[in-house]
Amino acid sequence: MIEVRRLQKRFGPIQALSDLSFSAANSSITGLLGANGAGKTTCLRIIAGALKPDAGTVIAEGSIGCLLDHMGLYARLTVRENLAYFGQLQRIPAPILATRIEELLTTLNLREVADRRAATLSLGQSTKVALARALVHNPANVLLDEPTNGLDVPAVRSLRDHLRALRDAGVCIIFSSHVLDEARALCDSLVIVAHGSVVAQGSPAEICRLAETDSLEDAFIQLTQTEVACA
Amino acid sequence: MLEQTLVIACKEIKDHLREVRSLWASAFHLLMGPIVISLVLFSLRNAPHAKTVQIISSMASIFLLVSAFTGGMTISMDILAGERERRSLLPLLLNPVSRSAVVVGKWLAIMLLAEVGVVLTYAAFRLVGVPLAPLAYATLTLLPLAAFAAAVQLTISTFCRTSKEAQTYLSMLIFVPMGVAMFMVFLAPHPSWWLLCVPILGQQALLINAPHSAIVLPTLLLATAWCTALCLQYAATLLNRDEIVYGR
Repeated sequence: MIEVRRLQKRFGPIQALSDLSFSAANSSITGLLGANGAGKTTCLRIIAGALKPDAGTVIAEGSIGCLLDHMGLYARLTVRENLAYFGQLQRIPAPILATRIEELLTTLNLREVADRRAATLSLGQSTKVALARALVHNPANVLLDEPTNGLDVPAVRSLRDHLRALRDAGVCIIFSSHVLDEARALCDSLVIVAHGSVVAQGSPAEICRLAETDSLEDAFIQLTQTEVACA
Repeated sequence: MLEQTLVIACKEIKDHLREVRSLWASAFHLLMGPIVISLVLFSLRNAPHAKTVQIISSMASIFLLVSAFTGGMTISMDILAGERERRSLLPLLLNPVSRSAVVVGKWLAIMLLAEVGVVLTYAAFRLVGVPLAPLAYATLTLLPLAAFAAAVQLTISTFCRTSKEAQTYLSMLIFVPMGVAMFMVFLAPHPSWWLLCVPILGQQALLINAPHSAIVLPTLLLATAWCTALCLQYAATLLNRDEIVYGR
């Protein structure tokens, strides 16, 4: 479970977040939707603990695993070594870590590439390795910042399946995206962000009802632009 | 903290040793000194012995001092600036690991290669027949100097956004010991006592066998260790800045 209360963050003249609050439940995928520059990445970085907010609090129940826009695998290390490095930094005891890595390689279908250097992987495989690395300490919460960017259709589909499996295992997943179809297909709950604050939260159907339209795209445009009109 | 520091150091060394081409580049860089000296030795083969010893040992002292800075150069440009460039610094820092563990781990990795550089250069000088007898004890003071050099290189690497940028500044850094060495050889063969206690200057003075008192060596070692610690602490505070962690 992750609860975000009244976050504020300013970068110089830009107010990146102004009073942003929402909550994400366990065993569900919460989609953070917003245009480019709406504050999604900043919000995820604050939840991850990589940035300090100017005001507001983040309450996270249990540990957090992150796949932020910085993929950053070590090109000269193999997939296994990349996972092991982060596992060791997470202070996982060696025997537990070894079984955990094998488990992740199996569930994410990475066994074939396990001993290949990260430099030789495709983008889809790299994303999966980065996801495996984020999951190495078995976190209760997982943050993903536009993880499907640049992936081909089969890779997106396999990533989606993995996220669903994680959700069914009880993990709280927060997922940012600007692709509405993707969010609709995957998310149990949506949080629509515009200009640094939340303009709507609910299931895709509830969001459409709120905006009195049938399509999520119309609802998104209407909700984010109302905010502009108000501002 | 200690365990994670060692995990980071081991990973960096393993990672760097796989970059075989840059290892060769470092080795050639280090061997330039011995190669130049053996050419000079050849051209002086008919000169009087005393003169040869004087010229060769002062030249060798310059190359030895510089070797403390060359061995760790290639790894240090990759180790943090490279990490910033590839955007892997943020995921690394999101682990429950302190900034100082990251800095010290990376410093240990650079230091190891820098020490290897000093030893390799010294061995190569012995091999080409440079009269190093008076330098043997002074060369030992280069080992802590290499640790200091590693700390400075790490700090520079932390500042730089790409390894290319780091390469520019790290190459410029080599001119510092080179300039200091030449200054001591040509202008200050009889330095005042306090000059001997300054890192780099002191090591060079010992290399050229400048007259000194017993207090100099411990003071020099302390000063070198203190400067190393300062650099590392500064690098750790740099890692708290948002523009270093996210900046491109």
